[in-house]
Amino acid sequence: MDLLPTDEQNEIVASVRAVLDDRHTLGEPLGDELWSAAAEQGWFGLGLREELGGVGYTLAEEALLFVELGRAGAPGPFLATTVAAAAAAHAGDSELASSLLSGAARAAWVEPGPAGAVVLDGPGAAVGVTVGETVDLVDLGSVERGAAPPLDEHTPLERTTSMPSVVASSGDPTDVVRVSVLLAAQLAGIAEATTAQSVEYGKDREQFGQPIGGFQAVKHRCADMAVRAEAAVMQVRMAALATADGRSDARFHADAARIVATNAAIENAQWNVQNHGGIGFTWEHTAHRFVTRARLLAGLAGGRYGALADLLEQPPAA
Amino acid sequence: MNLDFSPADEEFRDEARTWLREHLPREPRPPEGAEMRAFDLAWQQTLYAGGWAGINWPKEYGGRGLTDIQQMIWYSEFANADPPFTLNDSCTFVGNNHGGPTLMACGDEDQKSFHLPRILRGEVVWCQGFSEPGAGSDLASLSTKAVVDGDELVVTGQKIWTSYAEVADYQELLVRTDPSAPKHKGITWVICDMTTPGIDIRPIRTMAHTTDFAEVFYDEVRIPLSNVVGEPNEGWRVAMSTLSFERGTAFMADQIDLSAVVEDLIDLARQRTGPDGRRPAIADDELARRLATARAEVAALGAMTVAGISRTQRTGMPGPEGSMIRLFHGELHQRVYQLALDIIGVDAFELTGIDGEGVWTGPFLQSFAYTIGGGTTDIQRNIVGERVLGLPRVR
Repeated sequence: MDLLPTDEQNEIVASVRAVLDDRHTLGEPLGDELWSAAAEQGWFGLGLREELGGVGYTLAEEALLFVELGRAGAPGPFLATTVAAAAAAHAGDSELASSLLSGAARAAWVEPGPAGAVVLDGPGAAVGVTVGETVDLVDLGSVERGAAPPLDEHTPLERTTSMPSVVASSGDPTDVVRVSVLLAAQLAGIAEATTAQSVEYGKDREQFGQPIGGFQAVKHRCADMAVRAEAAVMQVRMAALATADGRSDARFHADAARIVATNAAIENAQWNVQNHGGIGFTWEHTAHRFVTRARLLAGLAGGRYGALADLLEQPPAA
Repeated sequence: MNLDFSPADEEFRDEARTWLREHLPREPRPPEGAEMRAFDLAWQQTLYAGGWAGINWPKEYGGRGLTDIQQMIWYSEFANADPPFTLNDSCTFVGNNHGGPTLMACGDEDQKSFHLPRILRGEVVWCQGFSEPGAGSDLASLSTKAVVDGDELVVTGQKIWTSYAEVADYQELLVRTDPSAPKHKGITWVICDMTTPGIDIRPIRTMAHTTDFAEVFYDEVRIPLSNVVGEPNEGWRVAMSTLSFERGTAFMADQIDLSAVVEDLIDLARQRTGPDGRRPAIADDELARRLATARAEVAALGAMTVAGISRTQRTGMPGPEGSMIRLFHGELHQRVYQLALDIIGVDAFELTGIDGEGVWTGPFLQSFAYTIGGGTTDIQRNIVGERVLGLPRVR
């Protein structure tokens, strides 16, 4: 029983961070350089079995990767492409799976709405992916898509008046739980990154002749942010391991991770703006990037209310 | 990262489960006085006879010397055994988790050999004499004075918030021995025999109706200098020596217990009629979401606890991250009982005990202590901000 990464897992995290530091700047759109490096390092199939074209690690390593993507505030269809690749592989479409895994094809996220659906990262995507009772691949050409201004600047948004037609469905029930864990992982990363931003600012920014982080009003908010981030990160790891091990309470832990991480990301991103005062309200500062990333990720795959309802239907954790 | 238990740990779990099934008392814990003391000490004696006393004490001091993982297993098996009392709500708590560990860290051979076996065997009750009316969160400003007279300390002053003072045999007492030194430097940690003349104990009734709290007054109380633990004027360092012990596993039982409470509450919400008078409480959207959130947060608390154990395994010492667990637990504990009162409707008008099965209003009142006792949540937030995050300390 151990919730800290092994040396090998720490190396994976370090190499992911190196790529993100080198090829991504917070607030910038997804660059081709980052996408191709991600594909080269096998990010889209890190937790997929080798015989299906993946790297052969487990959801534990994949969750560590997605925490880093969340922390870096990286936009782009990383989650949709990863989830679509596994769904295609499990549905037997090895051609689509391999083009997604190689980064040649990208997937868009399709989230059902009250009238039709919203499509994220649609332009240029080869296929859509949507998550309900199963993970489904959908034909983006089957519906009219109209571009709309996105809340999260670098995540292109389109609206449709009907759901696109399903072309394949993953037969692996674990795929749905995996989506919850990876979403939670990105949200937990946001919770960590915003805590770090606030703490750094609290040490640097001086008012009334002292660093503002010395004032309890700011210090205590930072402490609360740290607690939320810690709870989110550790529950994500618990959920990733429970799912990877095929435990009966995997879905319980994945729902719990979604709930705790969603609340942590939203709360921390909001308080991070407040902690920065006027500079935090500017477009130039990156604090608002985490607010919109958190809101976007919080609403995917049924959102927080879906996870709350599902958790209450689960038997108690083992 | 893994969730596996070793075969030895699985074997240990079976052993603990079997023993608890055969030895766990079934009668409720008396709420106060000599009966309560007798109940708590009898349970400690049962633990001792079965080889389960001092599960977190090293073997060299007669403890069971369990690993942190095994302690976690023990606490969860205890919670699963459907106990009629909670493990930490006992007058043996200070001896087991504070006084005893302090002696192990800083006491001399005579102090250890006299006191430690008595604590383990369930013969004595210890209480704490730290806080004063003028020294709460700012504990180091304490002013109860002790003057050396021959081979004795003469203590005059007042302590407050001393749980179980009336039934205690010994007290871990902090006194000011050098009023001219800076406030952290002139304090001494001393063992006080509660039967010494000059001690006056006045019970304090709490908002939860309990009376185990007390004020303790000292009027020229004479304590042998041989009862000083560590060096005179080094008491602050001695008091801090048990901090890592507290951060470690002392509160694990509370955390595991809360998980069982939330599951009981979910069961209750499925059975009880809800606020609309027709459907079960769990069909109410707001109650359902609060229940689900509590379930998720208790799961995360468990994950944080495991992470704390993992960190201790790497570094050999529990880190300041333990303050995050205490902070999160205290506030979550309160939210759970607030939710319980919203679920039980008019049954919330009736006062219950603070302990036991199917009781909610007593524990609700008691839950206010969880963000105050042992350092308020404001102090916990300072610790997280300064020692975990490295934010500046400004006074």
